[in-house]
Amino acid sequence: MARAVASQDTTAFGELIRRHQSQIRNFLRKLTADPFEADDLSQQTFLHAWDKLQTFSGRGSFIGWLLKVAYTTFLQSKRKSKRYAEVLDEAGYIAQTESRSYTQSTDEVSDLDKLLAVLTQEERAILVMSYACGLSHREIGDATGLPVGTVKSVIFRGKEKIRTSFDIKDHQHG
Amino acid sequence: MAEKLKDAEDRLLESLLQSTPIADDGFSRRVVTQIRRRLWVRRLALPLAIVVGGAISIKPATQILIAAIKLMTVVPQGMFEMPATWIPQIQIVVLGAMLLAAGMLGIRMLEE
Repeated sequence: MARAVASQDTTAFGELIRRHQSQIRNFLRKLTADPFEADDLSQQTFLHAWDKLQTFSGRGSFIGWLLKVAYTTFLQSKRKSKRYAEVLDEAGYIAQTESRSYTQSTDEVSDLDKLLAVLTQEERAILVMSYACGLSHREIGDATGLPVGTVKSVIFRGKEKIRTSFDIKDHQHG
Repeated sequence: MAEKLKDAEDRLLESLLQSTPIADDGFSRRVVTQIRRRLWVRRLALPLAIVVGGAISIKPATQILIAAIKLMTVVPQGMFEMPATWIPQIQIVVLGAMLLAAGMLGIRMLEE
């Protein structure tokens, strides 16, 4: 499959998209809290993945590599939005849509949204990679460009925040 | 190894963060279509640039060549073996090159 894709076979790559689209779209939905934005970013992710396919060494899992591309695409999009908001601010506009906080971006706020809202962008991405996507600490380190020790401490910090904000122990028992 | 040992809190987080699979609903088809379109644009870009560049530069290039050949007539006749009969053929050569580029492009399209 990887060889077929490397030889610019779009049909084979289509099969890879079918296999992994759900995980990538779910990951980006959790990061953006906006299904439309997440789907746009997912499309961009697969387009970037196609362009950078030669850089996939085959050492780690393909989904780990795809999540790395997805996270980079997400960060780039955030940076662009920030710059756009700054330009609008300078021009005298209030960039409401671009500077919305995580919880404000959807009308209905689910328990999961509340849970993710207490985390920073980085903590959210790492916890989702770990608990929703099942990536190992090393794979998360590869995807985010952070050392394994930092990944572990970010997970610990994120869990601590959730624990204090939602009293997980009570929830667990009742 | 230690990361594999999950406690109740980890399992709870896992269940909270797990989400239902999203149906493809033409998503992969849309992405593949976009990729194919981009591949086409990339393949077309160079031959198209050659054809357009050739079309734009044909007149000034011919003028330069004519001027160069005129200049050569000042130089003693026997020095260069470039007869004046070449001048009208230059346009045919450029046209031929453009047709060759278009032909190559056509073959590529047929291959696809």
